[in-house]
Amino acid sequence: MSRVNTLVWGILIAFGAFIVHQSLGHSYYGIDFGPGPGFFSFWLGLLLIVLSLIQLIMIYRRPAEPLPDGFIPSREGMKRILSIMGALAVSLAVMNFLGFALTMTAFCVFLLRRLGRQPWWQTLVLSAVAGFGTAYLFGLLQVVLPRGFLGVI
Amino acid sequence: MNLLFAVIGCVLGTLIGVLPGLGPAAGTALLIPLTFKLDPTAAIIMLSAIYYGAMYGGTITSVLINVPGEAASVVTCLDGYEMAKQGRAGAALGVAAVGSFIGGTVATFGLVLVALPLTRFALKFGPAEYFSLLLVGLSLVMGLAGKSLAKALVMGVLGLIFSFVGVDPVEGAPRFTFGIAPLMDGIRFVPVVMGFFGIGEILINAERSLVGVIANEGRVASFFPRRDEMGISVSSIIRGTGLGFFLGLIPGTNSAVASFMSYAIERKLSRHPERFGTGVIEGVAAPETANNSYANAALIPLFTLGLPGSPTIAILMGALIMNGLTPGPLLFSQHATFVWAVIASLYIGNVILLVLNLPLVGLWVKILKIPYNILMVFILVFCIIGAYSLNNSLFDVGMMIVCGLLGYLFKKLDFPLAPAILTLILGPLMERSLREALSMSQGDYTIFLTRPISLFFLVLAAVILATSAWQAWPSAIREESKEAQV
Repeated sequence: MSRVNTLVWGILIAFGAFIVHQSLGHSYYGIDFGPGPGFFSFWLGLLLIVLSLIQLIMIYRRPAEPLPDGFIPSREGMKRILSIMGALAVSLAVMNFLGFALTMTAFCVFLLRRLGRQPWWQTLVLSAVAGFGTAYLFGLLQVVLPRGFLGVI
Repeated sequence: MNLLFAVIGCVLGTLIGVLPGLGPAAGTALLIPLTFKLDPTAAIIMLSAIYYGAMYGGTITSVLINVPGEAASVVTCLDGYEMAKQGRAGAALGVAAVGSFIGGTVATFGLVLVALPLTRFALKFGPAEYFSLLLVGLSLVMGLAGKSLAKALVMGVLGLIFSFVGVDPVEGAPRFTFGIAPLMDGIRFVPVVMGFFGIGEILINAERSLVGVIANEGRVASFFPRRDEMGISVSSIIRGTGLGFFLGLIPGTNSAVASFMSYAIERKLSRHPERFGTGVIEGVAAPETANNSYANAALIPLFTLGLPGSPTIAILMGALIMNGLTPGPLLFSQHATFVWAVIASLYIGNVILLVLNLPLVGLWVKILKIPYNILMVFILVFCIIGAYSLNNSLFDVGMMIVCGLLGYLFKKLDFPLAPAILTLILGPLMERSLREALSMSQGDYTIFLTRPISLFFLVLAAVILATSAWQAWPSAIREESKEAQV
């Protein structure tokens, strides 16, 4: 766990440094007597660096800690997580092209088959309800959804 | 007929609140066309009912599936969802319904009895007072710390940093946008919240097999707290009512601030603050009461002074003007019949909300009987559509997905999410107030000390910070010595 914590606090220090660097590109004082656009983010970046450094020092003062049980997901668990993230990313990429309803239907079919053991007919019905049903409901509420190349929402 | 429109408004409002992403402001705006054919009194009664119905609706998804339906319900996820996991969803929704009713009713009576004098007091709030009040809210972040104060502070800082993305509110300079046009509008709160709480939770649950898993048996043991929880529920509701009412009078705050501050205060006052986040009743009762009390109290500055306190109230103001009624000091004298009809409907609407939603608690809880792998897919679809519907932008959906991954990682590493959400809300408000105050005082920082109300809040914030640090110090030393022994 110490290694993981070291990595995390190291990333936060780097992020804090990035924020400080970006803030230096904005004016520190405003045109209206108060702080400028760069004021708060500069000090917040510094605070992030200081807090993270303190935690990093405390990690090295303590004995090394092993990873707790279950911290790293099992292989199957990792596959499930990657399936969900992958499905979300692909849906985002194709939604304008396929339209909301078709994309969400395909999204649901994939995840229901990947993560559960429903019969095919149940999967298709649930996916159609999730995709086309929600599109219809939000259409009634006048929410404009992507239509895709077929012109279907 | 007005009663019927209040019922319709409550039902629609609850549904709007349940649907993630829409929120009371968008829902009220979308449903304004429904009211075109109604007379002004009926139209405003219906829209008001939609407004506070949405406040309750957001609670349902927060408790049952850890996806807040709107901003004010975020903090309810912390303990409400834990209660649902323990088979106490009925008690969580029941106490939220009762607390919302009491908060809303007391705020309505407050509207009748003390509207004008209290609004005059609230008008003394200038930018310096706002900033100091928000500083009190920020100091309460330490009350959301959980196990690690350092991690809570880091999350608070991260939330503040992300709140500054977008266009500088005073000079109009883009900050941290990196040339990405959608970032000019800043990082929107709703995709972050849905990502952190909704998708993050789903990813955590996906670590184990989802086949045959049911989130909860869906039995409703009781709609009410246990006997030993009654006393604490009552006192939490009283405090939530007072805080929500006070914040509702101040234009410029929002309901999420009321619910967060209420939660943090309960945690501060509790004899067992370490139990917050594990499913304590006061973690639901207080914020839910505060947000409904806020929702009704926010109508006071609108009716008495013509000042909209929040985006949803601004939409209601637009609806009033469309119906030929100008909110402000003359509204009471020129349209007394209308005003008193609307005030009566507020009270009746709160009763309707309670009567409608308590029996429905059993129905809502049945949602938990759906196999989790199916429920999870529907939650993801609702999150996607919720994020998209904010601004018809896939960028917001992408933001939500990224926040989902971050939320998963933060949960694995035990970084509390609530401080980041609170500072994401407070950041822009604080920066704007500070810079306006300094502009007024021509750069003189003593403005915060010379104005009595501001000074009071600054002292309060200092006391809260000092006592939190004092309480955290012994446990930090205990942690260190425990690790040294290992």
